[in-house]
Order: sequence, then C-alpha cells, then structure tokens
Amino acid sequence: MKPFELLKAESIDAALKSANATNSYISGGTNLVDLMKKQIDQPDGLIDLSHTLSNNIENTNNGVYLGAMTTNTAIAEHKTIKKDFPLISKAILAGASPQIRNMATAGGNLLQRTRCPYFYDTVMPCNKRKPNSGCGALNGHQRMAAIIGYSNSCVAVHPSDFCIALIALDADVDIVTQNGLQKTIAFQEFHRLPENNPVKDNNLPANAIITGIIIPNNKFGDSVSYVKIRERDSYAFALVSVAAALEIKNGKIKEARLASGGVAHKPWRWHQAENFLKDKEATQENFIKTADLIASHTKPLQHNTFKVSLLKGAIETALMECLTNSKRS
Amino acid sequence: MFDSFKNNGRIEGIAKVTGKAKYSAEYYLPNMAYGVIVGSTIPSGSITNINSDNAKQVPGVIDILSYWNKPKVANFDDPEKLKDIPAFHKYFHTTKVNFNDQPVALVLAETLEDATYAATLLKIDYQIEDFDVNFKDSLKDITLKPKDERGSYDAWQNTDYISENEYSIAMEVHNPMEMHATIAHWTGEKTLTLHDKSQSVNGVQRNLSNFFGLPEDNFKVNSEFVGGGFGSGLRTWFNTIAASLGAKHIDRPVKVVLTRPQMFTMVGYRPISWQKVKIGANNNGELLGILHEAVHNKSENDIYERDITGITKKVYAFENVKRLVGYSPLNLPIPTWMRGPGDSSGTFAVESAIDELCYKMNTDPVNIRLKNIAPFEMATGKPWSTHYLSECLERGAKEIGWKNRPKQPKQLKNGDWYTGYGLAVGLWNASRKNAGASIEMKPNGDIIVRTAMTDIGTGTGEAMVNMAHEFLSIPRQKISIELGSSLFPESPSQGGSWGLSSLSGAVDAACRALKLKIAYHVFGKDETKNANDIVFSEKGIKLNSRESSFIEYKSIFENNDLEKIYVEEYSGPGEKSKEYAFCSSAAHFYKVNVNIVTGQVKIDRMVVVVDGGKIINPQAAANQIIGAGVGGVGMALREKQEVDLASGRLIGNDFAGYHVPVNADVPIIEVSFINKPDYNRNPAGAKGLGEVGLLGSAPAITNAIYNAIGKRFTNLPITPDMIIS
Repeated sequence: MKPFELLKAESIDAALKSANATNSYISGGTNLVDLMKKQIDQPDGLIDLSHTLSNNIENTNNGVYLGAMTTNTAIAEHKTIKKDFPLISKAILAGASPQIRNMATAGGNLLQRTRCPYFYDTVMPCNKRKPNSGCGALNGHQRMAAIIGYSNSCVAVHPSDFCIALIALDADVDIVTQNGLQKTIAFQEFHRLPENNPVKDNNLPANAIITGIIIPNNKFGDSVSYVKIRERDSYAFALVSVAAALEIKNGKIKEARLASGGVAHKPWRWHQAENFLKDKEATQENFIKTADLIASHTKPLQHNTFKVSLLKGAIETALMECLTNSKRS
Repeated sequence: MFDSFKNNGRIEGIAKVTGKAKYSAEYYLPNMAYGVIVGSTIPSGSITNINSDNAKQVPGVIDILSYWNKPKVANFDDPEKLKDIPAFHKYFHTTKVNFNDQPVALVLAETLEDATYAATLLKIDYQIEDFDVNFKDSLKDITLKPKDERGSYDAWQNTDYISENEYSIAMEVHNPMEMHATIAHWTGEKTLTLHDKSQSVNGVQRNLSNFFGLPEDNFKVNSEFVGGGFGSGLRTWFNTIAASLGAKHIDRPVKVVLTRPQMFTMVGYRPISWQKVKIGANNNGELLGILHEAVHNKSENDIYERDITGITKKVYAFENVKRLVGYSPLNLPIPTWMRGPGDSSGTFAVESAIDELCYKMNTDPVNIRLKNIAPFEMATGKPWSTHYLSECLERGAKEIGWKNRPKQPKQLKNGDWYTGYGLAVGLWNASRKNAGASIEMKPNGDIIVRTAMTDIGTGTGEAMVNMAHEFLSIPRQKISIELGSSLFPESPSQGGSWGLSSLSGAVDAACRALKLKIAYHVFGKDETKNANDIVFSEKGIKLNSRESSFIEYKSIFENNDLEKIYVEEYSGPGEKSKEYAFCSSAAHFYKVNVNIVTGQVKIDRMVVVVDGGKIINPQAAANQIIGAGVGGVGMALREKQEVDLASGRLIGNDFAGYHVPVNADVPIIEVSFINKPDYNRNPAGAKGLGEVGLLGSAPAITNAIYNAIGKRFTNLPITPDMIIS
C-alpha cells in the first residue's frame, strides 16, 4: 500500500477544506482499504470523517433520517427500521458479513465501487480503473456483469444490497458540497450509467460529503421482500437481487415497487413493471407476467443470458414473498 | 482400548485459543528483514529487465532479489544436480515465465509495509510469448494413455444397462486459513534454521538439502503449529526458497509471508478435470465393466500428475476395467495434491454413473452397492484386513430414513422447492508409513512424547496423548507432546490419511522401549524381556508377575543417578501389510431441497458413517469428517476458480469471489463411526480418515439433486443458473 497521511477531521468544514484531488474521505473503509491494498485507489491522504458526521437514526415528520456515519448493523437492527422499513433491514442483512456490517457506514455504502474482477486486477484492462485501457469483461467473464444500461466501455454492476432497498423506497441523499452548500439528491439520480465515462460511478460533486439519507414513510407494511440470488448463501455479491414492495387493498395492488441489484451500473428501478402491476390482482399469474415484462427489457451479454432467467425467478419469488410476509404479520 | 476417551478437547487447545501457540509467521528474530514476493504479469515468455530504481527509493528497502543478483548456490554449477531440482525452486535461476504470478523477484525491506509498497513499484519488462490456458479446448489434443486393465472392454458392451457420461470439475484452491510463511535464518554459511508452514518438516529439510547441496542435518525446520493444509503444505514452495536465498543474500533473518492473492497461485490447487465414465450392469444388478477416461491440467515444467481413474480399480468388483488417462500442460500455476487428490474427482464420476444406472434399473442405490463392493483388493487379490463399508451403508440408510425416500425424482414438492435424497460412498487406502517417536521421562514420571510430524489441525497431539496413556497407563496430565521439528524423530508428512496410523506404531514402539529401559534400571537385564509385564502408574512402576515390586519413579532416577530417561524408536508397516490390503471408507447420505425458480440448493441433512478403524480421538475424528463434508459442499456447489482466457490470469483472488462454503451453506453434519479396530494395520487399530470424509460427498449432493428435480449434473460446481436452465 502506498504510504498516506491520515487526517482526523474535527468538523465537516475542516474536512471540506482539506479535501483535494489527491486525497480521499474515509468512513468505515470496508471498500476503500481493499482498493488501496490492491493499488486501485492510491490517495496521498485520508480524511477520517468518523467524528464529523451523525450516526443517529431519527424519526422525522415524513419518514426516517439516517446519519451518514450510521453503521449497517445499527440500521438493520434499529426498531423503527425493522418495524416501518423492514425492506431496508432485509437488504442490509443479505449483504456482506456481520464483521463488515459492523464497520460499513450508510454514506460509504452508496460510494462502494463495483466488484467486477477486471476492475480489481490492475494487470487486466478496465476503463473504469484506467480510462481507455479497454473492458476485460466485454468479451470475458460476465457472471458479475450487467444485463441492462451498460455501454461498450463498461459492463460493471453496482454491488450494494442496501442501495436497492433505498431506491425502491424513493430515498433522498443529503449532501454538502465543498463550498458548504447543502443539497438533496433524489436517490434515483445519485448513481449514474457508465456511458463513455465509467470512471464516474455517481453524480456526487467533487469533494462533496454525504451527510445523511432520508427514507420517506410508506404504506407497504410487511408486504416487502428482498431476494438475493448468489453463489454462496452468505458473504457473496448478488448475481441478481430484487427488492419488492406492494401496497395491497382489497386484493388489488395499489402501488408496487421493484428494484434490482447485480443487473446494472446503478441500482435499477423497474418502473414499467411497477405501472403494470398497478390496480392488478396480487396473483402469481400477474407476478409471472411482471417477470416476463422485466425480462423483455433486459439485454444480456453473450455469456450472462442466464442472469435474465435468474432475475425472472427472483422477481416472481420476491412478489410472492410480499404476500406471505404480509400475511405473517 | 481407547473407549474411555470422549471429550478431552485438544492438548494444544488452550494455547491456540489464547494466542500463545505460535504459527510460523509469528516469530520475531532480532535484525529480521521482511521479504515480499513479486509475481509475473504475463502467462508465458521471459523477463528481459527489472528496473528497481523507484522501488529502491522507498525508505527501508534493503535490496531486490531476482535472476540478476541471486546468491550463488554451489549445487547449481553441476548440471546433473541442477536436473534434480524442481522447476518451481529455480524461479530466480531462469528468465523464463510459464504462468501468471510466477515469482520473479523478492523485495527485502526493514518492514513489511516498506517491502509491500516497494513491490508495487518494480518495472518489469517481458518478452511475451504465445500461451495456452484453455483446458476445454486443449482436450482435443491430448492423447490418453492406457493404465493397467482387467478383463475385456468388449465383453460387456451389449449388457442390459449402460450409463455413459462426461464429467468436469472446476479448479479448486486449498486456501487454508494460515497463509504459507517462512522465516529463514542462516548461522554462518552452512546452517539454516527455518520456521516454515509445512505438512512435512523432513520434506522441507530434504528439499533444501537438495537445493543448497548441504547435508540434511544443516537444516533445522520448525512447524509446530499449522493453520490447515489440505495438501497445500506437502510441497516445499518458493516462499521457503525465496526466504532462504534472501537471508543468505543480506546475511540477516528474513520473513516471507504469502498474501491471500498469492495463496491462489503459488501453493498449488486441485487441477481442472475432465472425465468420461461408462458403466455396464446386468439384470441381476451386477456391475460388469467400466471404462474410465480422465484428463487434468498440469503446469508447464512441473511433474504433478495424478491418476484420477485409480479409484475405479478399488471400490467395486468390476471384472472388466479399462482406464485411460492424460494430462494437459497449460500456462497455469502449478497444481498439487488437494484433499482426496485424484480419487475425489474420480469418485464423483463413478458414483454419479452408478446412481444413474440405479434409476435405469429401478434398483435401490444402497443394494447395488452392497452387492458389488469388492470382496478383496481386486488389483492384488489380497484380502481386506478389515472393511466395513457395508455396515456404513446400512447404518447411514437407517439414520436418514432411506426406505421412505421417493424412489423417483420430483415426488416431494413444497411450493417452488423440491426435496431429494442421495447417497455415495468413498474409499481410500488406509496406508501406514515409517515413522519415529521419542519419549523423555523426567524424575517425577512426567513424559514428553516427540515426533517430527506436524499437526495440520487434525488433533495429532491429543491422539498421541491418548495413545501414550493407553500404552503406558500413565495419567494423561503427566503426558505432554512436542511436534513439528526436524530435531525430533523423523516422520512422514501429515497427509494421505496416513499420519495417525504411522505414528501409532512409532508411539507404541517408543512406549515399549521406555518400559524396557526403566525396568532394566530397576530389575536388571534378565527380567525385562516382556514389556507387557511392566505396569506404569502415576507414581511409579511394578511388574505384574512379581508381588510387591512397586518402585517410585523418583527412586529409579536417584538410584541410577539419572536426570532423564530417553528412548527413540521407529516403526513401519511390517509383515501384515504383505498379507492384507487396507482401506478406510465412508457412506454419505444427504437430503437436499432445491428451488427450481431461484436455483438455490439448501442441504437439509448430511449423514456420514465412517469406517476409520479404531477411533483414537472421537472429537477430532468427527471434526475431520465435518471439515471434509464442508469441502464436499464446496466441490459440488461453491468452489470454482476461473481463468480469463484473454490474459491467462485467474479471475479474482480473494474470499469474496472464491466461494468457500460458509456456515449458512452447510447443515449440522451428522457423523458416526463404525469404530472397530484393525490391529493388522497398527497397534492402535486406527485407519486414517482424513480423505474419506470428502470422497463421495460431492456425488451424494448431485445424486440427491437428481432425486429432487430429475436433473443429472455432471459439471461441478452447480451454480443457481444451472439448476434453472
């Protein structure tokens, strides 16, 4: 690892003032330290944000606020989250391992980088790591690659589970820019597609800091599900994952949310499928139709067509689980 | 014998869980430098230059060792001797590169951090050459060579039932918890002391003697505690050579610890394999003949070849056996023995084929096995000394409720989940090798039993306590154990399921020698020919044959003016091994649930019944079978090291991407033992069981999946996409 200086910032202002192109913020470090060890990220300095940001979970009038420094474990185990936002809890607990969840933070989760194996091996080509070096995955190993929204320069996917629940629940991200401006970015606008600039994972302005996440109240109750298909039952990234939430009234779907991980460069919302489900009966038949609809929108690569079949299975299973989970409560 | 030992834990247990037990990397020597190995970034070609200017700017860097400045090794001036040194010890004596991450340099620095960073700053120029890493494509060019045959291939081609399939198993990496590590320290020009993670300290000694052209006794090798091996520690890898050369080069102790990524490329793996198995049976359920073809990859320039078809000769009474094997040399890292080497791959294919036949014949898979188990060792005609596979099958069937299983696939359904039952068996030579042990007794009657054999986590130390206690009747708390030093009596590697079996003969011989020696001191020469007559206790000894013969240890030492009594004995397989054939075996009965929509496979029950002879240490024995079962889950459902065809590099090299099974993947594994002694094998009656827990585990899973959903999987591992396709 390249030697670096560690600055323990005492305030957000101090952190913002110290930030520049050659250093990097650090919170839990569960991804950044790996990237530094593998020479993918080689900052000259780290600005430790752990004393600058909130790690509180607060009920607000419209929903719940998660301080950016709140750990994954704290969120997943929090009473309000488990009761009113169980999808968040399910998604977080489907990810990583207890040790990593104890370290990882809400803000950091949004900024974790892809797990594409070509990104992680500095000898291999990767446009995301080294612009214009090519994309090793485009004709290579594609199990962890996208089936929608990719470009010729990058087929990597976003690896988070937490973010899939956040996008499904229409969360917002609070940030502060380097000149001290506080802004809110809709979660759907936070991450971006690779296009011709895969180096950039998201729309966070340079040196800005995520301060918190707001999740609005919802009427889904326990009628939610997070299905993650992976090659090991714990501590494995998703081949595909599905966050589903249904609001059902008199057997009919009033509102549906469907989002997926492991399929695209950003957490992916299936808006057309959500519209399709609106006012339909909550039946397996309709869920299978929904899965088919979603499958028809995907464009798998040569070696990962199987991900579409897995996605269909995950969509159907997640929607069915929404029904069983709501009956259980 | 040994039946009183149930739950004594492990003699080294407290030291391990409190961190007092030191593993090879955990020693600190004054003035020690740190070495980091740098691997090649091409799969084939040669190194033309190493520019270390930037690396040398890092404070703390001492030097960078490579082809261009390695210390002179006298042995290498003699071309004849050079030939005897394996290619993977000569990486600093060649510019040729045969695989990605082949060691090309060693960065030596004052701290690990300095060395690690400087290693990233080397600029290495290569001349790249054509390479081949595509196992599948290479198969068409491999000429298979026949192994010894039995009967006739033509004799059974028109029989009633035939199963014929091709099988493949992905590359699997050992990945023991402890990374391979060496601390090397020269005293003068000719004596080298090492802390080296190894499954064989004597093997390291021999290899270094061969490399440096110095007597074996000049190398002192310690490997007191080993954090798992699975076969990766059976060879002396380049970390040991690099540390030894580095220490010589800078005349300081040098520590080299492999990184986790280097564990994927520098210490072996189970090679990728392809097999074809054709089995014929008649209407009476008799297995008539088998054709078994197999190929596995090897690395350019390395000798590792393993006959995957060997198991075909042993388990069943096929009258007709035809075997063909081949090896595909690729620009990949060097493969090596990995738990159940060869046989676990072969067993997957054979046990799958027999299962398929059972469905074709509408026969109970338990019965067909009971009917066809080889009644003697087919290859030699020797009778089995003991062989209880039938009992394993009968007990396993009872424990899992086999008779209530669905006889056809897709019978048990709950939503998207199907349930199925499967079984497979495993068999492994219960071998025994020459081994040595010593005993030192102190005036208070305490004894230390020593051997050069390591304990790779199998509970060797506790088993030795049990044996010494059993053979001498000395209370357990008066017995201590020291392992894993080349200064102790020479022993074989701990591998191949022969460790305990070999040691028990040595410990028995040392115990007898101790009795005779002490009795000699007490009673004189004439009365001490019969060791069985001598009885030890907590305080002293007596002769069974003579009343009032008790004498305290203290008195014996005082009367003879002794400070300690020391005996050292060696023991090997002996005459009985000429008369009998020996095997351990296991029956695996598994129950699985398979989701046909998400492709998830959940193993519900794993029942494993094992014939490992007499069980010396029940907890550790069960522990081994459980660990092997987890390995079986890995082989069947999880572990797959893939290769990028464009770059010739491995895809990923960490635990996030290489899926070793975790607790969530494996149910409580229900282990039981037949526990009948085989005294022809050794004085303890134990037969090794390290491998049989794995052999048969993977096909028991695939056979259960077939019973659940009616799909026969012949390529491992089975990932969710394969279930739903």
